[in-house]
This record gives sequence, C-alpha cells and structure tokens, in this order.
Amino acid sequence: MSGCTRRAFGGLAGALCLACVPGFAAERRSAPRVVVIGGGPGGATLARYLAVAGKALNITLIEPKKRYTTCFSSNLYLAGLRSFDSLTHGYEALSDRYGIHVIHDRAVAIDPAAKTIRLIGGAIVPYDRLVVAPGIAFREGAIAGYDEAAAEIMPHAWMAGAQTKLLRRQLEAMPDGGTFMLAAPANPFRCPPGPYERASLVAAYFKQHKPRSKILILDAKDDFFEQDLFQDAWNRHYPGMIEWLPAQFIGAIEAVDVRQRSIKTATQVFKADIVNLIPPQMAASLAQQAGLADNSGWCPIDSVTFESTLQRDIHLVGDAIIAGDMPKSAFAANSQAKACAFAIAGALTGADSPQQFLFNTCFTVLAPDDAVSDAISFRNVGGKISIEEILFSKLDDSAATRAQGMRESNGWYDAFTRDIFG
Amino acid sequence: MTVATRRIPGIALVAVLVCLAAQPCAAATDAQGAQLAAACASCHRLDGRDSGIPPVIGLDEVRIVKSLWAYRSGQRAGPIMHVVAAALSPEQIAAVAHYLAGQRPAPVQR
Repeated sequence: MSGCTRRAFGGLAGALCLACVPGFAAERRSAPRVVVIGGGPGGATLARYLAVAGKALNITLIEPKKRYTTCFSSNLYLAGLRSFDSLTHGYEALSDRYGIHVIHDRAVAIDPAAKTIRLIGGAIVPYDRLVVAPGIAFREGAIAGYDEAAAEIMPHAWMAGAQTKLLRRQLEAMPDGGTFMLAAPANPFRCPPGPYERASLVAAYFKQHKPRSKILILDAKDDFFEQDLFQDAWNRHYPGMIEWLPAQFIGAIEAVDVRQRSIKTATQVFKADIVNLIPPQMAASLAQQAGLADNSGWCPIDSVTFESTLQRDIHLVGDAIIAGDMPKSAFAANSQAKACAFAIAGALTGADSPQQFLFNTCFTVLAPDDAVSDAISFRNVGGKISIEEILFSKLDDSAATRAQGMRESNGWYDAFTRDIFG
Repeated sequence: MTVATRRIPGIALVAVLVCLAAQPCAAATDAQGAQLAAACASCHRLDGRDSGIPPVIGLDEVRIVKSLWAYRSGQRAGPIMHVVAAALSPEQIAAVAHYLAGQRPAPVQR
C-alpha cells in the first residue's frame, strides 16, 4: 500500500487506500485512527461525538448506504402519518462539518490481530481502535420457509427501507375486510414496543380507509412491553379490530407457507391477506464472523467502555450488544455511543472521561393524537448495566397529555436525528 | 477540580459555584457540562429551536437549576425529565445548567 498515491488511484482512492483519500492528509496520519463500522443511530452518533470529544483523532465511518432510513417512526409512514423522505438521512453533515471520513462500502471481515478491516471490494482499512455498530440479523432457519425470498411476499419491515415501502404497498392494495397478521418474536429483539406500535398504526390506517379489516398478532411471548397502555388504547381507538394471541394459546411459531400466506404454529395454521413476520434476531453477521458474538448470538461488552470482552481494541454499541437491562432501541444505541465515544476519547487523547450517563426513552404512537412515552435511567452495578429508575405514561392520562405526547414525539424525532446525523 | 468534587460530594455544589469564578475550574466544569448536555441532545435541539420539545439553551442558569430540581423532586410534572434530573447529582445539575445557559442559538443554516 506504500506505493499508493492519489494520482495513481484517482477516484478509487476511497475504496483502496485510506492514506490516499482526500482529508487523510499526511499531517493527520500519525493521529490515532478510529474506524466505525455501521452508520445507524449507534455508529453515526459515535463518530459525531468522537469527532467533537477527540479532535486529534482520525475518524472513519464505513456504511454501505448513502441514505439511511430510520426504523424508529417508520410505523408512522405505514399509517400515512409521515413521508418516507422524512425518515431518510444522509451523511453529508458528518463528513463536511465534523471532518469524519465517510466510506460508502461494506465491511466484510475484521482481522483483530492485524487490526484491519476488509471491504467488499478487497480493500484493507487499518485501525487503532475499531467500533462496530452492526445492528441485527435474522436467525436463518428459525422459522421454516422464511428466507429472503419469502420476505418479498411476507415482509418483516424490521430493517427500514424497501421492506417498509413494500409493506405499505400491501396495506394499500388490501381490500377492506381483509386481515393483517403480524408475528412478533421472543425477547430480546429490536424495539420492544415496535410490533405493538405497528399494530396500533396499521389499525389507525384501517380505521380511516378500511374499517371492516382485522389485525391478528401472533406472539412468541405471553406478555409484552407497555402491554396495559397498548391494550387500553386498542379498546378505546380500535374496538374489536386487534386480536392478540400469546404463545401460551398458539404455541411456538414454526413455519410459513408463502403461497398460502399462512403461518403454522405448534397448534394451528393462521392465514391472512398480509403477513408481516418479524423473525427472531441476533447480532449482524459481521459481528458473528469476527468472533464478537457469544453463544447467545449477541455481543458481550465491558459495561463502562463498551469494549468487546472477546476481542481487544474493538468496541460495540447498539442493538447487537448485550447491554444488561438496556433495550435494543435507537435511543439506547445513541446513549451508549456517547458513553463509548467519551471512553475512547479519554483513552486515546487523555480527555476527561465523565461519569457514565445511560438513558432510554421511547415515544410510542398509539393513534394519530395519542402518544405515550417511557423513561429509564441506568447505572452500572457490579459490571452490569441495571435499571436505576423507570417511569411510564399513565393509563389515566388526559387526552391533552396524550396529544402533547404526539407533538413531543415529532419534536423528539427532529432533535434525535440531528443528534445522530448532525 | 473534578477529582476534588468527586471525593467530597457533600460540598460539591458549593465547590462548583466557587469554582465558576476561577477560570481553570470553570473550564473543567464546562467540559463536564458539555458531556452531560450530550444526554439532553437526544431530545432537545441544542441549536435553540423548538420543534415540539422546548429549547434548553441560552436560558437563565438559575432557572435551569431550579427546573431540574423541581423535576427531580416531583414538584414539576414530567416523567422523562424526572428520570433525567433524578439521575444527576447536585454537582452535575450545576454543571449542565451552567453549560446550557452559556450556549447561544446557532445561526440559521442555508
């Protein structure tokens, strides 16, 4: 790589050799190189806060997509309450205003011994510290018959983008009086209130456009997050429309039949016009391949520095990690990313590492004028991130409070995405 | 200063207030305040604009401190802000209030 020059490689420089890339000037070459893989809420937040906290660092963000669509608030798009464009964000601010070197490519392998990353085209990227924010993958074979091809008929829409649009098209095409069936996975999974918010917002869409339609939720669990708030809202806003079937009634979800649009559980077969199957999950494949995940399929970390307990000098944040009591949410990923950025800046530049402050809030929309929230603070107790305090919206909140919750939910999205993408 | 206040939490608030008068101490407090304000930025825009959640920068420092204490005690309603304020030490409340009060709205971006 030493013979590599900008003149020789021209426009391919970014894919071939970091030292050749504009912005990687010679005077910065001695600065510690921090590479972040994954430009979702965890990775993008981390890169941005690291750029502010560790000004002497050389920061690279590797993310295949040029535009990122947020999973959070994508249920609002399904209901027609948000545009798809409003969910989509670029990396220009991170690159232009924060000096982060953004490479739009896919990292396919990590060599922890050589401290290098291999990109899909074969280029090698060296690092001094690596942060991996890979997100989730679906567990292959967990539900017989459900694979990538099946997801084109029975969308999961659990990684926002084309899948989200597909599900919206199916909702638009479904006749009034049809059935929408959602299969929710066992814990842990990305966004604990997400499946139930989705049912609520699909119901909001049906109520307005297809009022004779039904929603069936097949659950791999016997209870779910904020269950009382959801079921109260379903009774008030959508009486008789949503039926929730817990695992104890239907047995495990075993297989799908794409042609029949049906799901087979241990006890019954359920058919519907639309099947939205949210599969069981684990840390994304890069984390598995790089030896960052344990037998659970998730990645163990040090609860203070977020450094992998399996590989040195590699940190992890976001949905892929085992973070004690923290849920797999974008908010948690954003909070972990800040703590991790301050820890790395402290280690590499001697900057002051503050007391860790971990937090989660979910704004959950139950109907167009009815949103609830929860707030959780966390504290490290004996090496485990544990809940310090947790508060939820109340069942007897006034309508005005819930309507205010909806305005706050929109305000949060605006502030939160600025906090992530700059 | 940071070390001193961590070791003597009982007098932390006084120490921080005294510290504000001295430049090196103020710098340390500001660094702590900036890092604490990172938590605010998950919900509040730190450029001073309001898109559904009230802005928190450029307000009177004493007013921010009083608000955080009111949320913390439950005197002021708000589950999210109660959880946030309760997680902060008196020293951290002072530091984040000082930092936020000192921030000015960003110019309008083109």
